[in-house]
Amino acid sequence: MKKLYSNKRVIFSLVAPGLFMFTVAILAPILLSIYYSFTNYSGIGDYWFIGIENYTTLFHDSVFWGALKNSLFLAIGFICIQHPLAIFVAVKLDKLQGKAEGIFRCIYFIPNVISVAVIAYLWKFIYNPNFGLLQKILEFFGYKGTINPLGSGTAIWAVLVVLIWHGFGWGMLIYYTGVKNIDPILYEAAAIDGASGTSTFFRVTLPLMKPVIQVNVTMAIISALKQMETVYLLTDGGPGNETQFMASYLYKQAFSSYKYGYGNAISVIFILICLLANLILQKVFQEKEVQEV
Amino acid sequence: MKRKALAIALTAAMAMGLVSSVPVMAEEEQVTIKVFSNLPDRTSGQGLIEQTLFDMYMEENPNVTIEVEALDDESYKTKFKAYASGSSMPDLVNVWGQPAFISEVIDAGLLAELNEDDYADYNFLDGSLNGFSQDGKLYGLARNTDVMGFYYNKAIFEECGVEVPTTWDELIGAVQTITDAGYIAISMDGSDKYPIAILIEDIYQKIAGSADTYSNAAAAVESGSYDESWTQAAQMVVDLVEAGGFQTGFETTDYGTALNLFTNGQAAMYYMGSWEMSMATNEDIDEETRNNISVFTMPLVDGGIGTATEICAWNGGGYSVTANSEVKDEAIALLNYMFEPDHWSKLAWENGVCMSAQNFSDYLTGEETSLQLEWIDIVSGSTSVSGTPINDLGTSEFKTVCEDSCVELAIGSLSVDEFYSALAAFAQ
Repeated sequence: MKKLYSNKRVIFSLVAPGLFMFTVAILAPILLSIYYSFTNYSGIGDYWFIGIENYTTLFHDSVFWGALKNSLFLAIGFICIQHPLAIFVAVKLDKLQGKAEGIFRCIYFIPNVISVAVIAYLWKFIYNPNFGLLQKILEFFGYKGTINPLGSGTAIWAVLVVLIWHGFGWGMLIYYTGVKNIDPILYEAAAIDGASGTSTFFRVTLPLMKPVIQVNVTMAIISALKQMETVYLLTDGGPGNETQFMASYLYKQAFSSYKYGYGNAISVIFILICLLANLILQKVFQEKEVQEV
Repeated sequence: MKRKALAIALTAAMAMGLVSSVPVMAEEEQVTIKVFSNLPDRTSGQGLIEQTLFDMYMEENPNVTIEVEALDDESYKTKFKAYASGSSMPDLVNVWGQPAFISEVIDAGLLAELNEDDYADYNFLDGSLNGFSQDGKLYGLARNTDVMGFYYNKAIFEECGVEVPTTWDELIGAVQTITDAGYIAISMDGSDKYPIAILIEDIYQKIAGSADTYSNAAAAVESGSYDESWTQAAQMVVDLVEAGGFQTGFETTDYGTALNLFTNGQAAMYYMGSWEMSMATNEDIDEETRNNISVFTMPLVDGGIGTATEICAWNGGGYSVTANSEVKDEAIALLNYMFEPDHWSKLAWENGVCMSAQNFSDYLTGEETSLQLEWIDIVSGSTSVSGTPINDLGTSEFKTVCEDSCVELAIGSLSVDEFYSALAAFAQ
């Protein structure tokens, strides 16, 4: 058996399928993307190499930087609003026990199982200033004006609410799993020591959930950077480019403006930003772990 | 033994003869024509007419199978590009006879040349095939004549005591009266953006006259120089928005929602093209509203030289056959069949769907809806048309920027000067 595993042909035959898939599905598209990013390809017909022109244009493109800013805003929104809420709900759910725990767990997860297209249209109708649910509720409480959440100035916040609502279930479920994995003896010990609910949360629950928080925060930032479908269907980046995100801007350039080469330049920078974000997060969490040791 | 062998040989020869003669009699080469359409609703409107013609063609040509793939406009354009960058385009495709779409496609050699002489007696309206031609060669056939106008609800106008506006000032006055009465004045599809771009051109035409609208617009796009008439037109759109002309949130209101605001009686007017004339026969719309729909075109602008009979009209959508189609001849035959004068033109008109790009006066039934008749009056009484709207006169990148900027102008994110600076950046 040992001889078999030291045979290079056997090793190759075992590695080859994975390597093939990686090359075809990941490496080749990235290399092609880099290649096209140096061209003026429109997606149709001939194209020429134009050097780094796409990249120089990109660095002066205010919409791109606005899209990056929106992605970071979304990431901060996830971390500062969605995740604290998700931790809070996860802890409360854990305390509920019994049937109620299961029922509420399902309720909170419902938005995650609804299609993005349905969610986008659902919120479009809720937000509609002419017949939307939000407007009608406000009118019911005596509000006389008209609100337009997807209008200029407020659209990015309206989008943030939808995305927080949509992704809440996942985050909450992961935190809930983290809470469930904490040994109940620790809570009993804290209670015997006379710890209040708040100090138990901050001194027992939260520190023991750090690995889960790290995973969730990393996923939240990557998901914010990759945001595309909901925004595309909800606002299409508008009004103007106020809710443009990197992925939706890339799509717009490549498929609406027929600037396929430029779209690929955005995608290359997009990949680099995602990698950079990942590296920074790893570094931050590693440093914290070292300090704790 | 000899006789037995002879009998076997003769039987075999007869059988061979039978076998070989059967295919000669019945064999007709089976052809599959793949169609890529931007009309996803195959049960009503233009999609139904298209499908009816395909069904008729298949019935008359049993050896032909037509496979249709249909997507709405935006998805269609995206997938069209995916097809175009690959090697297996469908055989018959929808195209838009406007530079923003068709120029790049023709330049890439993707469309088959059609023989213009074949269409000499097809009654296409003068100039309707210009957008589908390049360097004297024809690459497609126009489907419709599109005219922009204000649909209005006569009952709401009557309730508010508003007359059909004949001047811009009257329109602004009507907007104020209607909004004061609690209605939305004009339902605007701002999400698709192009109606606002067309609105600017429509106003421009009333200021500068339509005789040179097309050439002026094309020259402005090319040079990046937009004269005072363009500035005035853009400012008037801003004024209309500030007067409360459109519904709150118009910038994110999509096509269907804008249409519904009008058809369910929340809006008094709806700025859209003649392709929506089927509202008058659409049974999904409340009968009272349906019977009260009427239309008028852009009112006159004080000091402008454009007259009431100069209309904002063009020939946009149409069909082309792809150059690399394996069944090119059969696809061209299907295309020609569709546009035989008594096919698309007749069916579209009889069903109250749209006005074709061909002369359809022979197919008037006497049972037209009043909305259809009003559109006929507008078109037959027109003295000149604007041609392809400004947003479709440049590259696809120009189209994107122009339409985005139009919305930004309307919501006040861009000033009029900034708006034209954004367009000027795309001077070729």
